[in-house]
Amino acid sequence: MKKYIFKRVLYSVVAILVLLLLLFLMLDLMPGSPFNDDKLSAEQIEVLYQKYGLDDPFIIRYFRYLGNIIKGDFGVSYNIASNVPITDLLQTRVPTSIRLGGQAVLLGASIGLLLGLIAALKHNTVFDTIATIISVLGVSLPSYVFALALSYTLGYRAGWFPLLYDSASPFISSVLPTVALSMFSMANIARFTRTEMLEVLRSDYMLLAESKGISGPKLIIRHALRNALIPIITVLGPLIVNTMTGSLVIEKIFSIPGIGELMVRSIQQNDYNVTIALSFIYSLMYIGIMLVVDILYGIIDPRIRLSKEDSHES
Amino acid sequence: MKAENFDYSKLPADAFELTNNDTSAHVDRNFASQNYWKDALVRFLRNKGAIFGLIMIAIIIFFAVFGPSMTPYTYESQIIEQQNLAPRIPGLEWLGFDGTETMRLGEVELEVNGYERGGFTDVYYWFGSDTLGRDIFTRVWEGTRISLYIAIVAVVIDILFGLSYGLISGYFGGKLDAVMQRCAEILNSIPNLVIVTLMILVLSPGLGAIIVALMITGWIPMSRIARAQMLKLKEQEFVLASKTLGASPMRIIFKEIMPNIIGQIITQTMFSIPHAIFTEAFLAFVGLGIPAPMASLGTLISDAYKNFTTHPYMILSPLIVLAFLMLSFNLVADGLRDALDPKQKDM
Repeated sequence: MKKYIFKRVLYSVVAILVLLLLLFLMLDLMPGSPFNDDKLSAEQIEVLYQKYGLDDPFIIRYFRYLGNIIKGDFGVSYNIASNVPITDLLQTRVPTSIRLGGQAVLLGASIGLLLGLIAALKHNTVFDTIATIISVLGVSLPSYVFALALSYTLGYRAGWFPLLYDSASPFISSVLPTVALSMFSMANIARFTRTEMLEVLRSDYMLLAESKGISGPKLIIRHALRNALIPIITVLGPLIVNTMTGSLVIEKIFSIPGIGELMVRSIQQNDYNVTIALSFIYSLMYIGIMLVVDILYGIIDPRIRLSKEDSHES
Repeated sequence: MKAENFDYSKLPADAFELTNNDTSAHVDRNFASQNYWKDALVRFLRNKGAIFGLIMIAIIIFFAVFGPSMTPYTYESQIIEQQNLAPRIPGLEWLGFDGTETMRLGEVELEVNGYERGGFTDVYYWFGSDTLGRDIFTRVWEGTRISLYIAIVAVVIDILFGLSYGLISGYFGGKLDAVMQRCAEILNSIPNLVIVTLMILVLSPGLGAIIVALMITGWIPMSRIARAQMLKLKEQEFVLASKTLGASPMRIIFKEIMPNIIGQIITQTMFSIPHAIFTEAFLAFVGLGIPAPMASLGTLISDAYKNFTTHPYMILSPLIVLAFLMLSFNLVADGLRDALDPKQKDM
């Protein structure tokens, strides 16, 4: 087990280093230089390059960059907020995004669980069909389809919810974005719960539990659902990726001041420093979550750990 | 006790009688082995969702091919006087496609008909016209072409890159496999979103950049499946037989083993299509789409989104086509998986 965790951590670290190399290369290859003032002569530019160490060998500059990032210094923004350190820009935005993503995953997980449970218990009935249709739609359609539909019908036509996010009333104005963002998680978890529950309900130990006289909610929750949900970690990966990707679009549609919206704006306004900083943050979150998921997976199911180790050696 | 020395060989021929000579040795038709593809076809046709998806894809392809030439407009022709016209279809006026739209000014709602106001009597925009006076019908199907084009590219990448990568890595094993798997793993641990965004920033937005971005990330799931199948199959006797007969590794991989996993390959390819279409639509929405005046479904949606409360019809048609396209490919992929690989769990 220790060996497995060590290996996984090592890969994650290597992945981060490779990522940073890519980001650094990108900055390096971008056309233009920081000193594009016409008044500067060639000698002056050379002096400036020396002063900021820009003519040092590639490796030295890379490690200097690494050091800065580890210290949390991503440089300053160019266009979005001139010369403001990116760290300051992020301070309020990261919590907003995490809150939105968390709400969406929680809502999606709870409704998805319920839908999947109903579909499995009422297998081959109308409920099952409805739940299946909802989950197929949720898995197939991009979250902005839901966002636009909700914002037009419930927001604009009915006027129940505000069209745009308002930090003065963070709850009511985050209802629509949360629902739109949660569709994929909901669909995925509903699908998953349904299949696993059907499997478990057919198993021998359920028959045993029933013949021992256990019935009702206790049978379903204690004996069936708990076993059905162990492999749910498998869907966590795609779920988190989708929520992260979706948040970019959703935050733009509802103009939520989170990191997704900032990312979109930095791309559109060519603010490379911000784009790169956010790419790094997104990757870091992703790599971290995947690491936790993989380790949990190994703890819960030893077969995975062993087969993964096998495949690494072979 | 005479029977002890009885010589059975001296019995006359008519002392014997055939038993069970007619019906008892019947052929088992219930569990007769059937052709795999015939079986799969039957299973696929039984799946209502998959059939629905297939029909929808056929309709969408039909319009993508012929749609742009059904109207007098091209995707870039602008008639600036005829901007913001609501859908009007000849013969379907009674269904609401008469060019009227409801405008809301504060509390007041009023019906506006742009065609009557502008005096355009013989002008029909089936899906309406956009803010620059371009025909949305033509642009939507033109955009669908791009999405389908990207779908084809995704399939080619899956087969060329993903499949070969996985098969080769799995077959040779050892050091090569270890190196190849580490590379894939590291690439996979950086979110797609980040790789794709950075690639497009470096390459400047366009169809080429989107394809390169798909190439870098799109093949990994396929390579995993191909490798897993290869690990399962390469120890089998028919591979050993081939090896003994002196077949080259490439022949064994692509001629002997690949045909056995064709079902999984087809299923995985079908799943990568909606993923690719989604990636393009997503990039367009973020502002990394195809530059104007070309249009993909994604760029149409992201343009129309700017005024979707005042002119909802502009966003409706590309959104519906995109939704049906994604849904149909997903349904067909689901159906294919169940049909080609009935043992696999429905996940």
